[in-house]
Formats: sequence, C-alpha cells, structure tokens
Amino acid sequence: MDFSYKEKSLIASLGATLLVFGWYFYQVFSNQMFNIGHEFTFNDIFRPIILIVVLEIIIQSFLAGKDKNKEDERDALIELTSYRNGYWVLSIGVWFLLIQLLYVGSGGWYDILENSSPAFISHLLLLFFVLAEVTNFITQLYHYRKGL
Amino acid sequence: MSKQISNNIRKLRFEAGEMSQQTLAEKVGVTRQTIFAIEKDKYSPSLEVAFKISNVFNVPLENVFNYK
Repeated sequence: MDFSYKEKSLIASLGATLLVFGWYFYQVFSNQMFNIGHEFTFNDIFRPIILIVVLEIIIQSFLAGKDKNKEDERDALIELTSYRNGYWVLSIGVWFLLIQLLYVGSGGWYDILENSSPAFISHLLLLFFVLAEVTNFITQLYHYRKGL
Repeated sequence: MSKQISNNIRKLRFEAGEMSQQTLAEKVGVTRQTIFAIEKDKYSPSLEVAFKISNVFNVPLENVFNYK
C-alpha cells in the first residue's frame, strides 16, 4: 500500500500517542481502581506530555528528510474536518466532567467522581484531550484514504 | 438519485502526451495526492483549482468536469 508523507506522519503520531498515553492511562486507572503502587499526582501528567513532544520531534524530523510535500487546500480541508470531530469529543468530555464536578460529594449514584483526588480529575481531563487528538488523527487518516 | 461531479482529467493527461500527475500538480500548485484524489472522484476541488486545471489543458471548464 502506498502512503503519502501526510499519512505516514499521521500513522506515526497516532502510534506514538496510543503507545505513550495508553501505557500511562493504564498505569493511572489501574492504580485508581485497585489502589496499588505509585500514587499519581498532578506533576505526573507532564511526563507523558514531554515524552510525546520529544517523540513527535524525532518522528517528524525523520519523515521530513524523506519526502515532505507542501500542503494544499485538500490538506487544509481534511484538517478542518478532523479538528471539528476532535472538538466534539473534547466538548463531550469537558461537559461530562463539569457536570460530574457539580455532583461531587452528593452521594448519589451519579456521583462517579466520589472520593476522587483533584489529580485524578486532572488525569480524566487529559484523557479527553488525548481522545480528541486520537479522533483528529483517525478522521484525517480516514479522509486521506476514503476521500472527502 | 443525487448528482455527482466526475472529470476527464485522466483522458486529458493522456491527450497531453501522457502528462504525469506530478507535472499537472506542479502546474496547478497542489500535491500529486490531490490530483490523484480528484481523478478518482474522491475530492471535489475549489473553483480556483478547477479553473487552473482547465487552463493547463487549455480547454473550457465543462470539458474537464461534469455534473450529472
């Protein structure tokens, strides 16, 4: 299968994001559910973010040396469509968290964040950011393959 | 049944001495992938790009794109 520079770049970014944040959230949520091992704090959020930035720099510099193309109107349109989809995922996540925060401590069945630390809530927010980014990558890949 | 935009770019490239997608892309100012997508009816270009393509082949716009 023949992949363009943009597709290779997107696949690499998607892979790196899934690998780094998949591993990170697995650690965070297994720790929260089973209360084992390291207690995750707000500062822990920066580790995967720094790692993904470094990985992105390495991936993009490696790919750019191969066959980088300029971008045109189709790239811009695909990017806009994909960011819109990512925006919806992020909006749903943020609204979900906002509504949940209103009910913290109420004790009802809907109080999902009961006994959650602020660090855990920050991690949930980061999760929705990552899901939005993954949605953006997947939508772009879909449109590059299937058309717009 | 909904109408669709189709095109004759493949035929026009052949008539222009088997012009490559890359050459056409460079003349129009887009990427080769965009020309490929337009040819395969996977992307409908802007009016500006559509006019540029018809200018490259020196034919009216309706000879390049059809709407039916």
